[in-house]
Amino acid sequence: MTKTRIRNLTRLPSPKPLRGGDANFMEQLLLHCATAIDSNDAALAHQILWVLNNTAPPDGDSTQRLTTAFLRALLSRAVSKTPTLSSTISFLPPADELHRFSVVELAAFVDLTPWHRFGFIAANAAILTAVEGYSTVHIVDLSLTHCMQIPTLIDAMASRLNKPPPLLKLTVVSSSDNFPPFINISYEELGSKLVSFATTRNITMEFTIIPSTYSDGFSSLLQQLRVYPSSFNEALVVNCHMMLRYIPDETLTSSSSSLRTVFLKHLRSLNPRIVTLIEEDVDLTSGNLVNRLRSAFNYLWIPFDTTDTFMREQRRWYEAEISWKIENVVAKEGAERVERSETKRRWFERMREAEFGGVRVKEEAVADVKAMLEEHAVGWGMKKEDDDNSLVLTWKGHSVVFATVWIPI
Amino acid sequence: MPVDLDNSSTVSGDASVSSTGNQNQTPKSVGKKKRNLPGMPDPDAEVIALSPKTLMATNRFVCEICNKGFQRDQNLQLHRRGHNLPWKLRQRSSKEVRKKVYVCPVAGCVHHEPSRALGDLTGIKKHFCRKHGEKKWKCEKCSKKYAVQSDWKAHSKICGTKEYKCDCGTLFSRRDSFITHRAFCDALAEESAKNHTQSKKLYSETVTRKNPEPDQKSPPVVESPPSLQPSSSLPSVAVAPAPAISVESEPAKVISSSVLSIQNSPESPENNPPEVIIEEASRTIGFNVSSSGLSNDHSSNNNGGYAGMFVSSTASPSLYASSTASPSLYASSTASPSLYTPSSSIEPISLCLSTNPSLFRPTIQDPPHFLTPLPPQPAMSATALLQKAAQMGSTGSGGSLLRGLGIVSTTSSSMELSNHDALSLAPAPGLGLGLPCSSGGSGSGLKELMMGNSSVFGPKQTTLDFLGLGRAVGNGGNPGGGLSALLTSIGGSGKIDVFGSGEFSGKDIGRSS
Repeated sequence: MTKTRIRNLTRLPSPKPLRGGDANFMEQLLLHCATAIDSNDAALAHQILWVLNNTAPPDGDSTQRLTTAFLRALLSRAVSKTPTLSSTISFLPPADELHRFSVVELAAFVDLTPWHRFGFIAANAAILTAVEGYSTVHIVDLSLTHCMQIPTLIDAMASRLNKPPPLLKLTVVSSSDNFPPFINISYEELGSKLVSFATTRNITMEFTIIPSTYSDGFSSLLQQLRVYPSSFNEALVVNCHMMLRYIPDETLTSSSSSLRTVFLKHLRSLNPRIVTLIEEDVDLTSGNLVNRLRSAFNYLWIPFDTTDTFMREQRRWYEAEISWKIENVVAKEGAERVERSETKRRWFERMREAEFGGVRVKEEAVADVKAMLEEHAVGWGMKKEDDDNSLVLTWKGHSVVFATVWIPI
Repeated sequence: MPVDLDNSSTVSGDASVSSTGNQNQTPKSVGKKKRNLPGMPDPDAEVIALSPKTLMATNRFVCEICNKGFQRDQNLQLHRRGHNLPWKLRQRSSKEVRKKVYVCPVAGCVHHEPSRALGDLTGIKKHFCRKHGEKKWKCEKCSKKYAVQSDWKAHSKICGTKEYKCDCGTLFSRRDSFITHRAFCDALAEESAKNHTQSKKLYSETVTRKNPEPDQKSPPVVESPPSLQPSSSLPSVAVAPAPAISVESEPAKVISSSVLSIQNSPESPENNPPEVIIEEASRTIGFNVSSSGLSNDHSSNNNGGYAGMFVSSTASPSLYASSTASPSLYASSTASPSLYTPSSSIEPISLCLSTNPSLFRPTIQDPPHFLTPLPPQPAMSATALLQKAAQMGSTGSGGSLLRGLGIVSTTSSSMELSNHDALSLAPAPGLGLGLPCSSGGSGSGLKELMMGNSSVFGPKQTTLDFLGLGRAVGNGGNPGGGLSALLTSIGGSGKIDVFGSGEFSGKDIGRSS
């Protein structure tokens, strides 16, 4: 039974010709459609899908393309409710469109917008400060971007003038082929390129791959780090760039202590020198589809909005990845739904609970970020939150990504 | 000449102002006017909508005597003095002037909405020019075109002045992008190969010989530039010349000196004894010496690499030994680029072409859309579409399609297709449809109204996709009150929380605006 309830209107809105791209309108339609699908109101769902299909061509403006992505995700959800359907359905699953990048392509790709470079600059600056004086630096890079942060870190380390650079150990986990962006080489090859590069900058580097997965909270990684003997005067750095969101949280495991909590607790017990946490400031964890869709819609319009300067192919790849995310958030449930981002506020709670304290990013880094933003579209901005020491990347005033630095307390 | 004022209202007077809660409002300094973010205007500002003609007009103030045009009234007045005409300079108004914001006259443009107006007349002029104007200014060096002269000037200043160039030819304006690219670019490896064969012409000015070998039997080989050269795209690479035919002790000497020449603080390789290198060198005379070269310079870290590398998969350590990008190869006289292929399974070196786009290999054509696009038709507003959806036949069989798919349908009556051409749409408001609706918020009332609204269309009309979501022209049938109700609730201010509590009541629909 449809339980859609619509509140009494005390005031009728004045008639207004609605443009196809009116985001609020689209959002409402999508939300209604979600409700209809989940309550099995086929007819209503059908109608709304039809309207959406006609008002949001996939090659329209950014709002329309955003809506199309959500539309596809809703369709996918509808289909998944009737599994027998999937073999007869001809619609294209997003996975086919996802590009598999070469590392050079990925390097260019991550710099199309400040989305990732913002976090890279802030984190690298903090790391460099924190590892001053250590003779060995062990970086655990938990990043969505397949180590794209590392070359500039290596370069910065090599450029320190007054002392010999430390021995650099880089550890990554092997489970990163589950979500985009996908690369077309193995991590072994990736690592060897990095080592070669480090060598050209006179940095001695070791590269280690540990098989470990987000789905169990990287338990094997943590275990390895526990037993792995660390050298004298070695700094452990854990760089979490858009990765911790995949660790199951309470909404998945529905227990009071989730793998996410456990991860942070064990991380703390390793006594790292510094932990950097860069994530997207949005809550995609709600168990209620409508709420989740609303959150997702009100955040993911941003990446669609930023692609104006992209070339057509790049935009297609980029939006395919966002569409993958949308599909995951809207159409998947349970363990399949891996995109479980939380807000900055929530992450702060977690870190504090795990006995980490926030550290301010240095002024120089802030200046570097600003300079970088100058080179991108004018909508990009940054705020420095003094009350919680975070840096936040903004697009047209809306929070996009936050960058935070933590030390054990 | 009066300014055409088409429309003046407040920014927030209309519906759907995007939330200003997230604006970055930190004032830059005391005394500076607070700047709103681009496209997020002050809610109390007065909205001015100028016509395109007005926007593009550059000299609106014209002297009546000589017809000379001026951009500002003040300038015209000063000019009038020259004709001995009465002139008056207006003082800056002392009272608080209401802030003005400007919208773009082009319908459909993002900045056409008052909530996205721009705060500055020059800004809206530039925007209009940039987005909707003709691009009259062209950069000479590249092919970029600009509609606004100042944009063109700004670009010309920086065009071609990108500071960082990778050996593969790609240009970068930022160092971090360059470094990241460099780390992964295969040109890193190519460079080392080139260095030892034909790089004389590339690096002739900057070559420094580290250890001239008087008894070399091979023609002298040129090294890559020393680490001091700041603009080198491959920093700090130095190679010592080495004899092609290796004598036991000489390679060792060469190695250590090459190591020295690279590093600032020399660290002697602890754990890769020269014997190893010599062995390999002697094996590889006249052949690619990448492996030996590599183990030479990577001595400390290479072994470190071995030690530190416990890999889950089957990648063998030999990957390192023969990997590319060794900075300290010493080439044999007969080594040629084609021989420089590591023995293991590294991907082939590919030279990047000089323009960025080529990095992205051309790929697939557009994937087929699963929802077939509408055959060319005048664009319909979303409201109209909702109405149409609502009005589509009482006898649509969409419900049956979905039923067949196993999705529980609430419709009980059997549906049939009906197809009518050229549906005439009810006039725009879409609200005062006067449809009765059973009140009481239970779903059944709504469903009843929904019945019969399906969008499956006959074969002659459009292509069907799985949910029958073809973009069809339309058909007649029962007005679908439920969808209109939806329209009512959605179509308005956007501030409506349709998921709040409360019940749908028919009385609102009956009212006309």
